[in-house]
Amino acid sequence: MNASAWQMLLDGAWTTIWISGVSIAMGVIAGLLIALIRIARIPVVDQILVLYISLARATPLVTLALFIFLSAPTFGLSLNRNVAGILALTLNTTAFNAEIWRSAFRNFSREQREAAMATGMTPWITFRRIMLPQMMITSLPGLINEMSFLIKGSPAIAVIGIVDLTRVTNRISAVTYEPLPPILVACALYMAIIGCLVWLQRLAERRANRLAM
Amino acid sequence: MFEKSTPEPAGSGQTTPEQSAPDDTARSDRIAVSIRHLSKSFDGVEVLRDVDLEVREGDVVTILGSSGSGKSTLLRCINWLERPDSGSIHIGGQRIGVNDAGRPMPVRELAKVRARTGMVFQSFNLWPHLNVLHNVTEAPIHVLGKSKAEAEALARDLLEKVGMSPKADAYPSTLSGGQKQRVAIARALAMQPEVMLFDEPTSALDPELVGEVLAVIKDLSAEGYTMVIVTHEMAFARAVSDQVVFLEKGLIIEQADPETFFTNASTERVRQFLERNEG
Repeated sequence: MNASAWQMLLDGAWTTIWISGVSIAMGVIAGLLIALIRIARIPVVDQILVLYISLARATPLVTLALFIFLSAPTFGLSLNRNVAGILALTLNTTAFNAEIWRSAFRNFSREQREAAMATGMTPWITFRRIMLPQMMITSLPGLINEMSFLIKGSPAIAVIGIVDLTRVTNRISAVTYEPLPPILVACALYMAIIGCLVWLQRLAERRANRLAM
Repeated sequence: MFEKSTPEPAGSGQTTPEQSAPDDTARSDRIAVSIRHLSKSFDGVEVLRDVDLEVREGDVVTILGSSGSGKSTLLRCINWLERPDSGSIHIGGQRIGVNDAGRPMPVRELAKVRARTGMVFQSFNLWPHLNVLHNVTEAPIHVLGKSKAEAEALARDLLEKVGMSPKADAYPSTLSGGQKQRVAIARALAMQPEVMLFDEPTSALDPELVGEVLAVIKDLSAEGYTMVIVTHEMAFARAVSDQVVFLEKGLIIEQADPETFFTNASTERVRQFLERNEG
């Protein structure tokens, strides 16, 4: 592999990282919002969200990405590939994150909530100051799990023409006729990215144990 | 609002030497908590039946009774953690849980009335993600809008009072049960409540840790705090109370000053209860 192949691999890795990163960031926040709306049990809205979650969890990423990219023009939208890719990944991961957040909320200690209410905190202050900081720590292992699933599933966005870390290996071997080296490097890069997440996960678990949460 | 008054306790109740509560002449006649015709059922079982109780400012009222008698439920109704089916509760003249129009209070309004009470729980319920100091400053800062500096100064005073100053930076998971409960007391006091509610504050403690928590509560009674205490500690109840209330199957069957209650109870049931718990 020459310098330009390395450069292409790094570009591919960067594409994977930023597109997944944006999707993860939006998916974690949107998942929390959906969890909260579901906990409020607003009629109709709740049923719509349940439908969305079961659809999004049941649809393969490749299919979802294709569907979004190809159907957008029908709705009069012209989506650029990256936007369509991010949308597909976000719609997918949000559904899983919503369930993680919802279970963290439901399993939250009633005693601690009562203690907060008893000091005169409103439900909103209780959520923001007492529940959310702890839910972030207790949900992090599950969320990070979902993040690494998403990154490992992200090559699906190649189907709409995004050159990510997996797709780029194809391009390199098309020129060099040596498929093995770029694939090996890609594997190592994926491992490095996931490794960072696992390390974060361990930090969170250690903190949760120390606080006996 | 308070047209009907409960019978006055017969004696002063200040009979034990270790107690230095204010004498009767200093005691206010204002009502801190007024409970009227309170009833509550869980799944068809009546837990409270038409309970009336008044707590005067500066008084310590202990609620005794066997488990399942409704005493914790009664206490938890006072700050609306439990919603009664009927009846009314006023904190310092302000009705809790129901607004002037007779409708359920909006959460913000309810929170404001709750803030006038402080509660200490059997299982401490400290917030594990905050250290001791921040457990105490959290509500004053985010409910009362106090500045961080002001809240911390107050918190340090209160931690000093309960003997927990050296642990201000520790996290709850590193504390013993007695230490946790003393922090929980400081946390409740930090809101400067008009009445303190204690729900079996020593029941979850190892026997050797009970004393340190009871000592703190005794100090508070000596300082004139209004308190309602659910407890199984008979000697403590006798020493600290101005009024003792005995609950049986959701009914108040005996209400007296501690001297009368412990030596000359009028109901057979109370005499039985005392024999079993003191013997």
